[in-house]
Amino acid sequence: MKGNIEERIASVVLIIFSVVYLVGAFFIPMPALKQQLGPGAFPIAIGFGMLALAFIYAWQQFRTAGKVKEDEAEIEKRAVIIGAEEKIEKKVDLRTMGFILGLMLFYAFFFEILGYAISTFLMFMVGVFYLDRRHWLRDLVIAVISSFVLYYIFTVLLRVQLPAGPLKFLEF
Amino acid sequence: MDFLSNFWSNVALGFGVAVTPFHLMLCFIGVFLGTLIGVLPGIGPMTGVALLIPLTFGLKPNAAIILMAGIYYGAMYGGSTTSILVNTPGESSSVVTCLDGYQMAKKGRAGPALAAAAIGSFVAGTFATLMLMLFGPWVAGIALNFGPPEFFSLMLAGLTVVTSLAGRSLVKALFATLFGLAIATMGIDNQSGVPRYVFNNPELMDGLEFLVVAIGLFALCEVFVNMADMKGAVQERLSIKGSLWLTKEDWKRFIPSCIRGTLAGFFVGGIAGAGAAVASFVSYGLEKKSSKYRDELGQGAIEGVTGPESANNAAAGGSLIHLLCLGIPGSGTTAIMLGALLMIGLQPGPLLFIQQPEFVWGLIASMYIGNALLLVLNLPLVGMWVKLLDVPLYLLMLFIIMFSFLGVYTVNNSVQDLVLMVGFGVIGYLMKRLDIPAAPVILGIVLGKLMEEKMRQSLVISDGSLMIFVNRPISLFLLFLAVVAITNPYWKQVGRGIRRLFGGAATASK
Repeated sequence: MKGNIEERIASVVLIIFSVVYLVGAFFIPMPALKQQLGPGAFPIAIGFGMLALAFIYAWQQFRTAGKVKEDEAEIEKRAVIIGAEEKIEKKVDLRTMGFILGLMLFYAFFFEILGYAISTFLMFMVGVFYLDRRHWLRDLVIAVISSFVLYYIFTVLLRVQLPAGPLKFLEF
Repeated sequence: MDFLSNFWSNVALGFGVAVTPFHLMLCFIGVFLGTLIGVLPGIGPMTGVALLIPLTFGLKPNAAIILMAGIYYGAMYGGSTTSILVNTPGESSSVVTCLDGYQMAKKGRAGPALAAAAIGSFVAGTFATLMLMLFGPWVAGIALNFGPPEFFSLMLAGLTVVTSLAGRSLVKALFATLFGLAIATMGIDNQSGVPRYVFNNPELMDGLEFLVVAIGLFALCEVFVNMADMKGAVQERLSIKGSLWLTKEDWKRFIPSCIRGTLAGFFVGGIAGAGAAVASFVSYGLEKKSSKYRDELGQGAIEGVTGPESANNAAAGGSLIHLLCLGIPGSGTTAIMLGALLMIGLQPGPLLFIQQPEFVWGLIASMYIGNALLLVLNLPLVGMWVKLLDVPLYLLMLFIIMFSFLGVYTVNNSVQDLVLMVGFGVIGYLMKRLDIPAAPVILGIVLGKLMEEKMRQSLVISDGSLMIFVNRPISLFLLFLAVVAITNPYWKQVGRGIRRLFGGAATASK
């Protein structure tokens, strides 16, 4: 089962994460003043808790498959009762996801350098041209509104500060 | 007595705060945006409230919470519209509404279904607000006597109840909660001034901003989920034909199920502290057991719409009791609201009722107004809301990205926060893929700092003995609740084991 492999990897990652967190907790320095339960105790407790749960999770994933199936029916029944969210198990369009992740990172990088208005406009248009360029003219108008007009609304009307970038000379 | 004599003056105070042109406008904007968000596919109340929090930054606390509550309520309403017309719930609490709502719409009775959902929500929301008004001060009065140990146990109970209901696997949900608590330990320790998990990064001195995590885990995660499957199924939308109004026969069936739903929802949300999604499922179960028309459920019975819709709104209102009186959020959305209030500098809890009555009562009054506004806004304008479903998915996703960045940047003016948020977006997507619930993470972050503080205060009182949590009756009771919540899924197995021990073959039959 493919899903199971994913979960096995995840359980190992969670164990590693818990260990790293726990080790970090032991390195929290003690304050000069002795206190009842220092700053390290709570993180240490959390760390051990996570580690224990990660091991249980791993054990659930690595034990023989036949037993898991029986449990799954039971779990599924419970999920229906409490309304757990739908599990996503579709084919993944990795290229689009990679594109969107890159877009977000570039957006973050240029957010201050180019200012909110310009970076948002660019992000929007790049996104439009990659994802669906059929209505690019309409989307261009939307992009202008959501970048330049929104910038004006936020900075002037709501008095929320946003980076101006090269448009600084327009400040009021 | 004391409360009762103050009651009317409090109500008057509240409406005095809420009925100013500015606050009325905010309330309207709130429910409008909330409905918008609720209707838009893929943006649930949690994502919506998190995304719109930055709008409240320029506002005073009163105005901010009025706007936020409006958004919360509106989103709860909006979700039902898509459930009925498109068979896609806008949020988890209207999943059940799909069952009968969509069937009704298929039979050409979309109008009555929408009307039943709206009126049911209105009745339930008003009822919950009334209860909040009557019992809120009382609950706050009790909680006022709580010391640090009681608060610690209360928070533990709150966390475990929400965690135990959060997903398919208890282990995963618990891990998510602890992950949230772990994130909360980042930053300078309040009590000793020692930096923890700061990695010599000055921007992490105050810890991770909760909005960074919340928007990453919910909003950006939503973007990734949708991008992973861009060519998703084209939705078939049913149009509204015929009258919007309920017939006499409908009313006859509407009223009892509305009452059942409201009471069940309020019990689940207000007393048990579970969220709106659970309430709607409980209500559907209740309808299946007690309705006269139970055989029609699933084929477009009006009870299947009214009950769950009433229940989820009653629960939404009920969980505000926990939030305002105890400072403990009962659901993911209220956890986000708590985080937002903390950012504004308000600490919800019993003291709030005494120190800032105009805030609490203003909110309560605005909830009445918001509920009424929603009814007006929703029924006649349903056609307009449905048009929103035509917004292409890619534009919607780009908007979410934009608003996420806008919101998170305005908190600290930090680009590092933006990158961290994207990181949490990826984590959120992986969690969703692995079926690890995200709501407990938010709960853990919001409650973590306070929980640790109360624990350490308790141990100072008791001079280091953990027995202080068990020796106090209220604290012991709350801890007991926490244990019950956590072990709940295993009772059945234990019971079966015991029966097998004593009963033998008689009970072994399946």
